[in-house]
Amino acid sequence: MKQPFLIWAKSRLINIPRIFIAAAAWTVCLPLCAARATEKIAVFPNAAYDACIIYQNLAIFWFFIIGLIVIIGMKLKEIDRIQKLGIDRDDENAPRLD
Amino acid sequence: MKLKYSLITRRTFLNTLFGGWLFAFFSGAFYTLMKFAFPTLGKEPDFVVLDRKDFSDIPNNSVKPFAWGGALGLYFKKEDGSVAALKGVCTHMECNVAYKPEEKKFYCACHQGWFDETGRNIAGPPPKPLEVFDVTEDGDKLIIARKGVKVELPKA
Amino acid sequence: MSYPRLKNWLDERYDLTDVKKFAKSKLIPEHRYDLLYYTGGITLFLFVLQFITGMLLAMYYVPHIDHAYESIIEIVTKINLGWFFRSLHHWGAQLTILFLFIHLFGTLLVKAYRKPREMVWITGFILLIISIFFGLSGYLLLWDERAFAAVRVATGGAGALPVFGGFIKAFLRGGMDVTGDTIVRFYAFHVSILPLLSLLMIGLHVLLVQYHGVSVPRSEIKDPQPTVPFFPNVFYKDMIIWLIVLGVVVTLAVLAPPEIGIKADPLAPPPANIKPEWYFLMVLETLKLFPGTIFGLNGETIAIICVVVGISFLFLIPFFDRKANRGEESTVFTVIAVIYVVYFVVMTAVGFLS
Repeated sequence: MKQPFLIWAKSRLINIPRIFIAAAAWTVCLPLCAARATEKIAVFPNAAYDACIIYQNLAIFWFFIIGLIVIIGMKLKEIDRIQKLGIDRDDENAPRLD
Repeated sequence: MKLKYSLITRRTFLNTLFGGWLFAFFSGAFYTLMKFAFPTLGKEPDFVVLDRKDFSDIPNNSVKPFAWGGALGLYFKKEDGSVAALKGVCTHMECNVAYKPEEKKFYCACHQGWFDETGRNIAGPPPKPLEVFDVTEDGDKLIIARKGVKVELPKA
Repeated sequence: MSYPRLKNWLDERYDLTDVKKFAKSKLIPEHRYDLLYYTGGITLFLFVLQFITGMLLAMYYVPHIDHAYESIIEIVTKINLGWFFRSLHHWGAQLTILFLFIHLFGTLLVKAYRKPREMVWITGFILLIISIFFGLSGYLLLWDERAFAAVRVATGGAGALPVFGGFIKAFLRGGMDVTGDTIVRFYAFHVSILPLLSLLMIGLHVLLVQYHGVSVPRSEIKDPQPTVPFFPNVFYKDMIIWLIVLGVVVTLAVLAPPEIGIKADPLAPPPANIKPEWYFLMVLETLKLFPGTIFGLNGETIAIICVVVGISFLFLIPFFDRKANRGEESTVFTVIAVIYVVYFVVMTAVGFLS
């Protein structure tokens, strides 16, 4: 029973043990490779639509920051102007209204 | 009478603008922080469990609504008898969509958006397809889950 | 915009005239290098940002070996804006350390540490060490391959110190190796011990700066010294710079969210071409310069001793620089400062490119 099978196996160009090892290697490796490939965790919403909204919000955020900077710049100019006029100090002896 | 000078000084104007701008800026930041701190804000379930017999005998080419968290879900039996489930909320402005059996399409009445049987956006303003869920049957239970979510039923 | 009733309520209970006087009379000197003044304010702002984002992330993070990695993935993929806040915390940390180094080297080069401000330098230096330890402990919490390897190397390096090495290593790791116990321990460091210590140190540092006033470089001392009032002029400039920094951090957080590696496996070999955070590269490259054995002694121990001596010298530099303390020109220490800066930049660059 055994003999003919072995002869058949050895007579083939691709012998059975090698196929078996290759198959085993593939069954072990493939899921590992697949795991490696899918393991990359999405650290950013991957839908193009969501990404678009995020970039939009970033632009709005920068608009607000630049707006604030411009306003503060104007305030600084105003402060400079008042300090040059010398009217930023409270007059200690000023009569009180209330 | 027309005043030659404005009654509002440059200083008051600037201060008001500055204060308002700061307030808007901080409210935006605060809202963002709170959105993260409260996971329930706009959060959807991973899966819902329905009674199977409520949904099994709907006719072909029709939909039956179910509650997907606080939003509308649609259980959909196609012409050929295959089933699917999708979120019945338009991806454009979040209006609920309706199924049009005669055209075999989903329709959003708010801004005339159209989706085909697979939920793909085919006409109108919707920017992306409807969300499609996984449907599994487990005894007399019908489990509708978000794609790629492992369903872990609570132990009875 | 005034609230007379609130003002009255406060005035009846607290005498705030001194505080008001101080706020009005606080002056900041104006000179060629006064941009350096703002680097301190930037780090303070970034610290506040780290506290806020850190508090929020702590609401979702689970410090347990089985759940740490998974809870971060949950934060990133499921929680509203979780990816953004993790990224913001990451980039905030990077920039905090960067500006701490800029602040430190700037102070070093203009010799702002000289008498009477030695304690300002000391508290600031301790804050830098705390921040680096913040970075290390925070990094392990992710519990991915890279974090695991980095913490193993860093705590192992501390173990190479003579006498106390083994003790420090065991204390940091909470055992003989980096395990689940290390996560809990580093979590305690990261969210409770270090924040409290840093709050104390920031308070002391800022208080000392108020007490001494802002230093003026020797070459820029004039009589009379040109100054600007802190409030409102410098305060608003500070605010502009904070806004720009906030914008930069948020932009970095959105455009370059940090990757998450594969979950740490204590039995797996470390991934190829692994690098620690950039602020450890300098130490790592220094260690590489030393051969395995020097005159029959353990090369690593000697290397670690050299690094510790180098850092300790920098830490105690105000006490060595006698000339600057007397208000004289001290060229030697200028050269030393430049060497420190150049060494740091070059070694970091070498580590980055290799």
